[in-house]
Amino acid sequence: MSAASADTGFAAAWLRRRAERELLLGCLGCMALGFVLILGADAASGRQLGALDLLPLALYALALAGVHLSLVAAGFRGDQVLTATVAFLSGFGLLAQYRMGDFHNGPGALTLGLVPAGFLVMTVGALAFANGRYRVLARGLWVWAGLSLVLVVVLLLTGQRFRGAVYALGFTTPTEVLKVTIPLALAAYLERQGQALARWHPRLPLPPWRALWPLLAFFAVLIGLLALQRDLGMMLILGLAGLVVLASGTGRIGYLVYGLLAGAGLGALLLTVFEHGQRRLDAWLDPFQDPTGEGWQILQGLSGMYAGGLWGEGFGIGSPEYTPIAAADFIYSVIGEELGFLGCVVLVLFFLILLSRGIALAGPGRPLFGRLLAAGLTTVLAVQTLLNIGGVTKSIPLTGTTLPFISHGGASLLTAFAASGLLLAISDGAPGRPAKPPRGRAAGGPPADLKPRKVRRKAVPREPAAASDI
Amino acid sequence: MTAVDPLHLFGSLVGSAAWPALRLVLHLAFFLAACVVLWRAWAWLRLTEPRSAVGAGGWFPWPLLVLAAAFLAVLGYQASWQLTGLFRPRFVAFMQSHDRREFNPAHRILRGRILDRRGRVLAQSREIEGRVRRVYPFGPAFAHTVGYSDPRFGAIGAEAAANAQLNGATPQTLASWGELGRQLLTKTKQPRGQDLTLTLDSDLQLLALQQLGERRGAVVLLRPQDGAVLVLATSPAFDPNRLGPELFRGPAPGTPLLNRATQGLYPPGSVFKIVMAAQAIEAGFSGTLHCPAGGFTTSRRYPPIRDHDYYSAQKAGRAWAGFGNLDLTTAFAESSNVFFAQLGVRYGRDAFARTGERFAFDRQVRLYPGTDRYGSLSTGRLPRLAASDQYGLAQASIGQGRVLASPTHLATIAAAVANRGLAMRPRLLVQEPAAPLGQYMTAPTAARLAGMMRKVVTQGTGRGINDAGLAIAGKTGTAENPRGAAHSWFIGFAPAADPKLAVAVLVEHGGFGSSVAAPIARDLLVKALELGAGP
Repeated sequence: MSAASADTGFAAAWLRRRAERELLLGCLGCMALGFVLILGADAASGRQLGALDLLPLALYALALAGVHLSLVAAGFRGDQVLTATVAFLSGFGLLAQYRMGDFHNGPGALTLGLVPAGFLVMTVGALAFANGRYRVLARGLWVWAGLSLVLVVVLLLTGQRFRGAVYALGFTTPTEVLKVTIPLALAAYLERQGQALARWHPRLPLPPWRALWPLLAFFAVLIGLLALQRDLGMMLILGLAGLVVLASGTGRIGYLVYGLLAGAGLGALLLTVFEHGQRRLDAWLDPFQDPTGEGWQILQGLSGMYAGGLWGEGFGIGSPEYTPIAAADFIYSVIGEELGFLGCVVLVLFFLILLSRGIALAGPGRPLFGRLLAAGLTTVLAVQTLLNIGGVTKSIPLTGTTLPFISHGGASLLTAFAASGLLLAISDGAPGRPAKPPRGRAAGGPPADLKPRKVRRKAVPREPAAASDI
Repeated sequence: MTAVDPLHLFGSLVGSAAWPALRLVLHLAFFLAACVVLWRAWAWLRLTEPRSAVGAGGWFPWPLLVLAAAFLAVLGYQASWQLTGLFRPRFVAFMQSHDRREFNPAHRILRGRILDRRGRVLAQSREIEGRVRRVYPFGPAFAHTVGYSDPRFGAIGAEAAANAQLNGATPQTLASWGELGRQLLTKTKQPRGQDLTLTLDSDLQLLALQQLGERRGAVVLLRPQDGAVLVLATSPAFDPNRLGPELFRGPAPGTPLLNRATQGLYPPGSVFKIVMAAQAIEAGFSGTLHCPAGGFTTSRRYPPIRDHDYYSAQKAGRAWAGFGNLDLTTAFAESSNVFFAQLGVRYGRDAFARTGERFAFDRQVRLYPGTDRYGSLSTGRLPRLAASDQYGLAQASIGQGRVLASPTHLATIAAAVANRGLAMRPRLLVQEPAAPLGQYMTAPTAARLAGMMRKVVTQGTGRGINDAGLAIAGKTGTAENPRGAAHSWFIGFAPAADPKLAVAVLVEHGGFGSSVAAPIARDLLVKALELGAGP
């Protein structure tokens, strides 16, 4: 990368990414403790332990080291807390999957390579699009839009129906990719048309039709296809991401209001059409109506969490096998069962940190495309997380979405890593900026440069005083 | 692998006695490590900002606030299940019957005891080999009223109706709230529920069952003034200590699961004449009706409705002249079918339907809080008669035909007569306040009817129990039914001048009410008043 300057040499970068190193080591230590807990529970239940049982942990450690070293070697200046958060969440997911017996098939298990592959995707993405190069992606507007539609159509034509939704062969879900391509397409479109879309009717609360219709048409087709596929969760995730990008790209809250109204209407319509959705709604409102049928999964998940109580019995001690599809959609209830309410709070706090980084990236002071892309990706992650956690805890009806970084599922995991790779790239800043960060406010500045916020606050009142002097 | 294989070492450590403590330490260390990472991440978060976020000072991250609020809401709702799930009775019941996790606290809740009005234990929880079991010291005697609570078969009766209280979820004093909070925080292994007191009297209940013996039937004893039920006996019953799937497999012989007292529907026979007499009194009936030995019918195509005296005379080979002209009081005391059949036809089916409604027929009345069918009382069924069905009306007027009633409902009718026409809702929980069920008749009607019922015992069909010691008022019944010998009925109250208790006794296929049901009622009333069961 920019090895020319002494400031970006390996030693300086090593020093600069101290925060990341410290946090990654912390994550590793935490996960190692978790592994010991699970292995202990396994051994206590009579399973013979072998050296291969440590393989997932070793791979995780190698992956973390790989991520950190390549970022340092490349002189990457992007966010450090973001990588650590992703590392913690995926490590937590690894523990949960390991606990569910995901890797007991031996070293040949495909799932073993998933998290390392995810880290690879993230690192490659971050480095490839760092230094503002992510803006190349804006040129691919029609590629992203077209790819998304084609994916859904192909899935509809070739997929097979299972539990009311459509899956591709081998039960992977290629539509997960939409969670990245749609925010890309949206950000690209809004970067071009944002100005036009912000020009509403001077008196009436009406958006500009001419600029809006391509977006509306695209979303109508997309939502229609997803409705055919009965993927209500994906519709919600992409729809909300679209609205947030639209509103933040134009500064018009009106889009959000109209969109939410339209979404509510559409939701009510779909619920009357699909009995599948209606049944889920009934099971949500009163799971005790049919406790051993429709309400079984949610009630088993909830009783698992009740059994876990405040701090649970520890990883490996619960009985998540009583909750159907626990490894995929209901992994959160397993965490609630084995680590209790506090474990859930810790998990949610890490999600909040991740999302707060995304929101910070969507703030001012960055190229429009980057801000919009960050807003889109963050919304996707936030809505997906909320839909999953809300569904499992019976706060909202079940939608069958996965929990990012935690749930079992290759496509979902890799997409979440890809999204965080893009977020990292955006955090690296625009091209043409001086290699040396401006004083006192570098993201990845060396520890000596790190100044608490009050320094900046002090600077603000000084300026007007200086101005009045002149 | 060498001898100092760390995995092997680990394996032996897990096998050792120190492992549980070590596991706890590891568990805490995991949380501690996670919190340290969280804390460090937070610290770095404050120190570092994503690069090039220049001029972000004026930008307030309200989306983050919205998100945090959403997550907080979800966590709060989650806590309402995960931490305070005890407050959701249906959830606890689900876990107790469907959750197989050994460590689920719902399995270890030491449910409160169920007591009778004298404090005798009808149900309690005992810990046997680490699992809490429900024990019913009286076995089948209270099976239907107290019910059962079983992980496999669910809960019925008071166990189901007061589930939340028994599990300790509805603390009533500040101290018990504090106790619940302590249980929550310390994650106690044995949450303790609260006791429940029933209005039942175990002495009287056992006496009633002893009197019923092997016969099928039901006995209900309640206080007219407040509806408190002292006896709710039904036979045969099942043993709640030994539930098995065979009990629930189809209609078992004798149907021991059926609560005959509250859900059993029987033709009431002559005791229904109380209802018809009330109707006649309120319609202003005075004078007499002709009741010949040849009986009464509405059409020649149907056999005449005759009196018992006709049949007993026929059996003895004698001729019977018939009652001749009868007034209401005498007809009631002699339980004349011919009289009441004519009376019903005279006032018509609309009046009959109105009376039935007033006497709360065709209803489900709850006995405990909650709405399941085990906790409610079927009052009975009255036929919807076609205008042309005069014979059906005549049959219904003497409590035959398609008229059905449950023993408990007939007890509330006797209680209404004793309580100046006002029927109180039967209740089983001491904590529940008394509530009216309906004004079955006016106070003057009730007073007149009470006199007529007293006369049944002093001069009429109930002479056999005319005990000098206790003035009982009542009505006997002998209900024909298609499945064999007639059902034997007695409903009444005592003492006649100042009623304290009302009773209903049914013996399936028992024969004459005067000789089978009435003595049971008498013994029970005598014993109850001896024990001071009145209000």
